Amino acid sequence: MAVTSKTAPAAVTRPSTTSEKPPNKYKQALPQYAAVSPFFILFAVFGAFPVLFSIWISFHSWDGIGQMKWVALEQYNYLLSDPTFWKAIGNTLIIWVLSTVPMLLLALVIANALHNATRFRTFYRIAYFIPNVTSVVAVTLVFGSIFSNNFGLLNAFLESIGVGKIEWLTQPWGIKIAIATIVTWRWVGYNAIIYLAGLQAISADVYEAAKVDGASSRQTFWRITVPMLRPVILFTAVTSTIGGLQIFTESRVLFGDTDNIGGPGDAGLTIVSYLYQSAFIKNQFGYGAAIGWALFILIVLFSIINWRLIGGNDDERLTRRAARRVERRIAAQNAKREAADVR
Amino acid sequence: MTLSRRHFLAAGSAIAAAGLTGCGSRSSLGGSHELSMWTWVGSVNDDLIGQAEKSIPGYDGMKLAMTRIGSNYKTKVLTALAGKSLVPDIVAINDDVATYFPNADQFHDLNELGAKDLEKDFLPWKWKWGVTPEGKMMAYPMDTGPTALFYRTDVFEKAGIDIDPAAVAELAPDWDTYIALGKKVKQAVPGSSITDNITSIYSYRMAQQPKRYMTEDGQYIGDQDHVREAFDLAVRVVKEGLSANAQNGSTDADAVVTNGKLVVFNAAVWWAQLGPKNAAPKTKGLWRVTAAPGGAGNRGGSFLAITKYCKNPEAAFAFISWLESAKNQAQAFLDPVLFPSTPASYTDPKLSAPDPFFGGQKIVDVFAESAKKYPGAYFSPYDSIIGTPISNELINVETAGKNPDQAWADAQHQIERELTRAGAI
Amino acid sequence: MSVERIRTAVGHIVLMLGVLVSLFPFYWMVVMASNTTPDIFAYPPKLLIGSHLFENMGKVLDNVDFFGSMLLTLIASLGVTVLVLFFDSLAAFAFAKYEFPGRNFLFGLLLATFMIPAQLSLVPQFVTLAEFGWIGSLKALIIPGAANAFGIFWMRQYAKGAIPDELISAAKVDGAGFFRQYLTVGLPVLRPGLAFLGIFTFINVWNDYLWPLIVMTDPNRLTLQVALDQLNGIYGTDYSMVMAGALMSVIPLIGVFLIGARSFIADLAAGAMKF
Repeated sequence: MAVTSKTAPAAVTRPSTTSEKPPNKYKQALPQYAAVSPFFILFAVFGAFPVLFSIWISFHSWDGIGQMKWVALEQYNYLLSDPTFWKAIGNTLIIWVLSTVPMLLLALVIANALHNATRFRTFYRIAYFIPNVTSVVAVTLVFGSIFSNNFGLLNAFLESIGVGKIEWLTQPWGIKIAIATIVTWRWVGYNAIIYLAGLQAISADVYEAAKVDGASSRQTFWRITVPMLRPVILFTAVTSTIGGLQIFTESRVLFGDTDNIGGPGDAGLTIVSYLYQSAFIKNQFGYGAAIGWALFILIVLFSIINWRLIGGNDDERLTRRAARRVERRIAAQNAKREAADVR
Repeated sequence: MTLSRRHFLAAGSAIAAAGLTGCGSRSSLGGSHELSMWTWVGSVNDDLIGQAEKSIPGYDGMKLAMTRIGSNYKTKVLTALAGKSLVPDIVAINDDVATYFPNADQFHDLNELGAKDLEKDFLPWKWKWGVTPEGKMMAYPMDTGPTALFYRTDVFEKAGIDIDPAAVAELAPDWDTYIALGKKVKQAVPGSSITDNITSIYSYRMAQQPKRYMTEDGQYIGDQDHVREAFDLAVRVVKEGLSANAQNGSTDADAVVTNGKLVVFNAAVWWAQLGPKNAAPKTKGLWRVTAAPGGAGNRGGSFLAITKYCKNPEAAFAFISWLESAKNQAQAFLDPVLFPSTPASYTDPKLSAPDPFFGGQKIVDVFAESAKKYPGAYFSPYDSIIGTPISNELINVETAGKNPDQAWADAQHQIERELTRAGAI
Repeated sequence: MSVERIRTAVGHIVLMLGVLVSLFPFYWMVVMASNTTPDIFAYPPKLLIGSHLFENMGKVLDNVDFFGSMLLTLIASLGVTVLVLFFDSLAAFAFAKYEFPGRNFLFGLLLATFMIPAQLSLVPQFVTLAEFGWIGSLKALIIPGAANAFGIFWMRQYAKGAIPDELISAAKVDGAGFFRQYLTVGLPVLRPGLAFLGIFTFINVWNDYLWPLIVMTDPNRLTLQVALDQLNGIYGTDYSMVMAGALMSVIPLIGVFLIGARSFIADLAAGAMKF
C-alpha cells in the first residue's frame, strides 16, 4: 500500500505545555483512537453484542432457523432441573480436579528440577513444551488408542503384568481418567515453564540466607519457594480453572462420532460439550445460550474461589511480608557474618 | 510507505460497516453450473448419481455435485440452514421430515415446480408425509420402509414349524401368536431371539399404528393407550426372554445376526441389507419373508427437498423427479436395496426377480403388499423429542431392569418438560 | 561435593523420565502410523516403527482432501496472525506511549473483556455471522479474531519498556505523524515481541477446533483439525491411517514451533510473570 505520508499537523500529539491555547484534545488524539479502535469495533460486533444477544436468545425456544418462540424463563427452569446438565457440571469438575491437581504438582516438581539443572536446559524446556503446541485433536487420537479397551497399549501392558484389562473408554471413571490424562499431559510442561520463570525471579540471596539459617531443602521449598511463587501459582490456577471448565475437544474427539457426544452413560459429557450438543446437534439455540450463561457464572464463581484460596485480597501483602521476612534474615546474617569477619 | 490517517480510518470504518450492516452474501453451495446435494452414505444409487454428475438428464447445462456425509448428517444440514450461506441446493431428509415443517419456508414448494402432476405415481401416504399442514409440498418421496417378518428356515425346521411363508403368516397373524411362536423356536434352539433389543419391538409396533404422538391439530396423544400398548408389548417380549439385548449402535448389534441369535424379526425392508446380507452372508438361501404379525407397517424411508437458496430450482426439480421416477427407483432397489415409493416399480423385472438370498423368493410381493396396506400415521414436528425419552426409558427397562411403570411415568414426565420448553404445549 | 553431584544426577533422571513421558505419544503416533492396522491390534502389540508409513499416508490423501484442508488452515492462520500483529501492536503502541483522554478507561475496558468466556457467546456469534452471510467462508475464521485483548495487553507491557520516549520525541521533531512514528520507531523495536505474539497466534488458530467445527459448514472445506476428526469419525477402525493423518497434521506446526522455540518459551514465561 503505497500511500503518501502527508498527515495533518493536528495528528501530532504535543506535550500539552507547549501551547497556551491547546487545540481540542480529543481531535488531537484521533490517531490514537483510530489505532485502538479495531479491537473495540471487533469486540463490539463479535463480543459485546453477542453477549447481550445471548440473553435474548435464552428467553426463547429457537432452532436457529425458523421463528423464535418466547418461553420466558422456561430454558432456565428446565436447566436447573435437568439431570444431564448437573451431570455435565459434575463431570467437568471431576475432570478438572483429576487434571489440575497432578498437573500443577508435577509442574512444580519439574520446575524445581529444571531450576537446579545447569545442563541441557534448552533441550528440557523444548521437550516439555512440545505437548502444549500439539493439537488437541491429534493428541486425543493418540491417547484414545492408548486407552482403547481392546487394542490399547495400556491394557496390553496391564495384561502383561497380570492386572488385566480395564475398560477405560466405557467405564465412568475410566473415561474421566483418560480425559484428565490428556489435559495433564498437554499442560504440565507449560505450567512448569511458568513456575520456572517464577523461581528464577526469586533472588539467590534468599536461598543463601535460608541455607545459612540451616533450613532443610524441604523447609526451604515450603517456607520460601512456595510463598514467593504465590502470584505465579495463582496465575496458573486461574488459567487452568478457566481452561478446565471449558474442556470440550477431548471428549468430542473420543466419542463425537455418534450424537451421544458424552460417551457411554454421558460419563465424559462436559459443560461445553453439553452446550455444543444442545445448540448444534439438537438445534436448541435457546437452551445452548442458557447453558452459556451457566458456564459464565461458574467461571466467575471459581475464579473468586481461587483468588480467595490461593491469593486472597491480601495476596500482595503476603508476598511482601515473606519478602520482608527474608530481607530481615539476610540483614541478620550479614550482620553475623560481619561479626564473624571482625572476629 | 505509510498510510495516512484518513485511509486508516476508512479501513476501520469499512470493517465496522461490513460488521454492522450485515449485507452478506446469501448463497448456495457450489459453482453456478453445479447443483450441490447432500445425502448420507447408502441413500442413493451410485450409477444414477454418476450420470447426473456428468449432466442432469433433461436439463442441459447443469450438473450435480454430490457430497456424502459420513456422520451427524441432520446436524450438518440444520447447521447449514441456520448458517444461511453456502447451503446445498438439494438435501436428503429422513423419515423425520415433519420435524422440518416449522421451517418449511427454507424450502421450495415442489408443487409450484410441477410436482402436482406426478402425485399419482406415488404411494398416497408417502406423498402426504412430504406435505406440510398448510398444504406446501416440501419434500419429494424417495424410498419407503415397509415392514415384514424375516425368518430363518433352518431354525424353524428344527422347531418343527412349516416354513412356507403363507403358513407362517397364518400361524402368527398378531403379536400374541408371534410371541408364542418365538417361545417355540427358543425352546427348540436355545438363545434364539425375535428382536435385537427392546426399542425395535416398540418402534415396529408403533410403525403399524394409524396414529402416533400428536394429532394434526397439535394435541399430545403420546400418553394414550396405543402408545402404552406398544410400550407394554416391548416390555413383555423382554420379560419372555425373547430379546437379544443388543442395543442400537453397539458392536453387538451386528453380532446377533452374525452368530445366529436373531432368527426371526419383524423389520423394515432395508434391514435385509443392513442385517443378514451384510452381517451374515453365510446364511444365504436360508431366509424368507412373510406378512408381519400385527399388520402392515412402515419404518424409515426418505425424502428430497430443494432449499430456498437453490440457484436453479427448475433444474433441481428436473433432477429429483428423474432420480425418483419408477424406473430409477427400481434400479435403486438393486443397489442399495431402497424400496420404491412408486407402485409402478413393483412389477419392474428388477424387483420381481427371485432373490437367491431368500431362497429364490420374490420378496417384493410381501413388501409391496405391506406398503400398499400401510395406514399412514401423522408425524408431528415434535415426534423426535417425544420418541427419544420413551426409547431411553425402554433401554433402562431392558439393560438396568427398571420398573416398567416407573419408566413409563418418567418418560411422560420428561416429555412434558421437553414439550413445555419447546413451547408445544 | 559428591552429595551435590548425586543430587544433580537424580534431578537429571527425574527430568529425563519426564521427557520420556512428554515425547512418548509422538513416538507412539509414528509407530501406529507406520504399521498396518492388524499389526496394531495384535497382542503383544508392535512397539517398533514399521515400514508402512507412506502407504498409510497415501490412504489419508485418498480419503480426505488433506492438502486442501492444510491450505485452508494455513490461510486462516496466516490471515489472523498478520491482522493480529498489525492491530494489536498498533493499539499497544498507542496505549503504551501516548496520553489521550479516556486511555485508562479504554484499557480497563479491554482488560475486562478477559472475563468473558468465548463459549458464552458461541450461539449468538454463530447467529451474528449467519446474518452477515459469513458462515462457511474464511471470513468467519479470520475476522472475529483479527484483534484480541491478550495480544494488546501483552504488546503494551512489552512496548512500555522497549521503546524509549526519546526516539518518539525525535520522530515528532522530524514532523512524523502518529502512524509514521509507529512504523519507524515502534515496529522495529517491537520486532522480538511480534515474533512471540505471531507464533502464539499462529499455533492457536492452527489448533483451534470448536469454532471451525461450527462455522465451516461445507464438508468439502474443513480446517485440518476438523478434517482429522472426520477422518477418525468415518474410518475410525483404520487406526494406522488415522494416525498417519494425525502425524501429518502435527509435523508442520512442530516445525514452526521449533524455529522460534527458545525465545518463544522465554517470552511466554516472562509474559505470565507480568500478570
